[in-house]
Amino acid sequence: MSKKLLISITLLLMLSIAVGCKPAAKEPIKIGLQAPITGEYAYEGEGFVKVIDLVVEQINEKGILGGRKIEIVKCDDMGKPDESSKCANQLVSAGVKAVVGSYSSTCTEPASEIYNEAGILQITPSSTATRLSQKGFQRFFRVCFLDDRQGLFAAKFMLEKLGADTAVFLHDNSTYAKGLAEWAEKYYKEAGGNSLLIDAINPEDTDFKPILTKIKGLNPKAVYFTGYHPQGGLLLKQSKELGADFYWVMGNACNNPEMIDIAGLDAAKGTYVTTEPLPKDIPGDVAKKFYNDFVAKYGEPPASIWWVMAGDALRVIVKAMEETNSTDPAKMAEYLHNEFANYPGITGNIIGFDEKGDRKGTVHVAYVITDAGEFELVK
Amino acid sequence: MGQLLQQFINGLTIGSFYALIALGYTMVYGVLKLINFAHGDLFMLGAYLGLTLIGIALGAGLSASMLLSLVPILLAVMGIVAMVGIALERAAYRPLYRAGRLPAVVSALGASIFLQNFVMLTYGARYRVYPKGIFPEVLWTIGGARLYLEQIIMLVLAFLLMTGLYLFVQRTRAGTAMRAVALDHDTARLMGIDVYRIITLVFIIGPALGAAGGVMVGIFYGRIYFTMGWTYGLKAFIAAILGGIGNIPGAMLGGVLLGIIEALATGFVSDAWKNAIAFFILVLILILRPRGLLGERVAEKL
Repeated sequence: MSKKLLISITLLLMLSIAVGCKPAAKEPIKIGLQAPITGEYAYEGEGFVKVIDLVVEQINEKGILGGRKIEIVKCDDMGKPDESSKCANQLVSAGVKAVVGSYSSTCTEPASEIYNEAGILQITPSSTATRLSQKGFQRFFRVCFLDDRQGLFAAKFMLEKLGADTAVFLHDNSTYAKGLAEWAEKYYKEAGGNSLLIDAINPEDTDFKPILTKIKGLNPKAVYFTGYHPQGGLLLKQSKELGADFYWVMGNACNNPEMIDIAGLDAAKGTYVTTEPLPKDIPGDVAKKFYNDFVAKYGEPPASIWWVMAGDALRVIVKAMEETNSTDPAKMAEYLHNEFANYPGITGNIIGFDEKGDRKGTVHVAYVITDAGEFELVK
Repeated sequence: MGQLLQQFINGLTIGSFYALIALGYTMVYGVLKLINFAHGDLFMLGAYLGLTLIGIALGAGLSASMLLSLVPILLAVMGIVAMVGIALERAAYRPLYRAGRLPAVVSALGASIFLQNFVMLTYGARYRVYPKGIFPEVLWTIGGARLYLEQIIMLVLAFLLMTGLYLFVQRTRAGTAMRAVALDHDTARLMGIDVYRIITLVFIIGPALGAAGGVMVGIFYGRIYFTMGWTYGLKAFIAAILGGIGNIPGAMLGGVLLGIIEALATGFVSDAWKNAIAFFILVLILILRPRGLLGERVAEKL
């Protein structure tokens, strides 16, 4: 082989590498979305996808970091902890820099271990179990608010607004629901309430009459159920069938119109729900604009706050990328912990994150289901 | 006292659904020594088909409380699911009879996953809700316990289906042939019984009863889901073992007993501990009576 040929081949190779390098900078930035797109909580997972698609569409119009696009890598964890670990590993291998997800605390917990080890930034839109942020993971954040604050709100609401000095607390043994029920019971007792029972239902069941019969026998003034809306709907229906006359107060996982379909309006009306405000009630121009954009794209309003929270999780990630001008999870996390403040979110103003990665402040309110089957803000 | 009575009513209602589904497991086991894991999913399919047909009936202008229109709907659902049952047996089990019992069980698991995914993809992954007010709301209060007309109709219907099956198996020629096949395939064949026809018959009756259970659960609880077959199927399977698998009255007894144990455990201990208590009692019973409560007649099952 002649020297000339060798040199030209080498040059050619170098050129091709150089050429290959250039679009690399313009490569899309991969961000993961881990959500229960099918399975028990598919309703929420599908909503995550809708909101994320819209947010990505809006961001990609301009692009970030000098015109780079965002590419969402989706993984369906079906709401199951074992699938969640698989998802986390899958997204890590796909090379994502940050992840939005997952929905339930039960799924977010195992995944957060994997993301932490892989050095990926994780923001959960909706997992509110307190212990998730107690592990010292530096790159774990949440745009939702903690269970203990909702528990405090619920305890006060039952005692002060409803005047219920005896109550039963019911959860479903999931990480989230158990935590919320225990916090609520703790604050309720501290405020002078009399807790008659704290028990867990099995969410796989469809017949809750045995536990409801027992609760009815205890004759409480209010029952606080912290599980999810598919079971909430059945509880309402069956407690009406048993002729129970206590107040039902539900946690924020029941903030979903599907619960009314399952219970039937007759059984659902008059039920209270403690929760973050519904999308239509979120204050702020950014939130209002997003609400309208969503309606324009899908022809219906976002049904649950968690959908919108997923959008904010992504928007916070993008904000961190832009402010730090990098996709390095460590840099982004540092920025979010220390500098990030007062960002107008589509879920209201985001004051900032504390050292554990939890969103500061609280926005909890109570809704009551009206005779027309609407969630109405309790003033 | 009112509470205890109410818990009995609660348990009896849950238990009769378990029993109805348990019959399908026990019949197939009796005849084929095969645990048909897809049975719970046939039950689930029944619930979804019932939803569709009730929707069509309502769309055609029948009002929600048209009780009589439920009879043809129930029969149609039972018929369709029976056909699915036959197809399932032909496609998933018959080719494997010679391969031994384990491959057939694996095939049953596969069929179960297939049915679940089929329903998920055709009906969607969300909870579906039956229309409300199918039965008029008639209520009795007895000693503080509440009993609805709907509950009585469900109990009577379940009891009629189970008794019908029992009489069919005990009193008819086909039933006698079925018992003969359950005892011994080869001898039954020597007696001139077409074993495959009997197997087909089992796969008509079992899924049809399961489908009826599905529609009843749908109407009664109002909320159905594509994985409900697993939850109910598991409990029904346990009920079948508790009563003595392969034994039809055993399945009924096991189902009702399991329902009542669950209700009482919830009422007097804790709902969180319900399953632990129920399974502890199951283990106890199986230690004392390894063949289940009514499983003593080993020589003549089904």
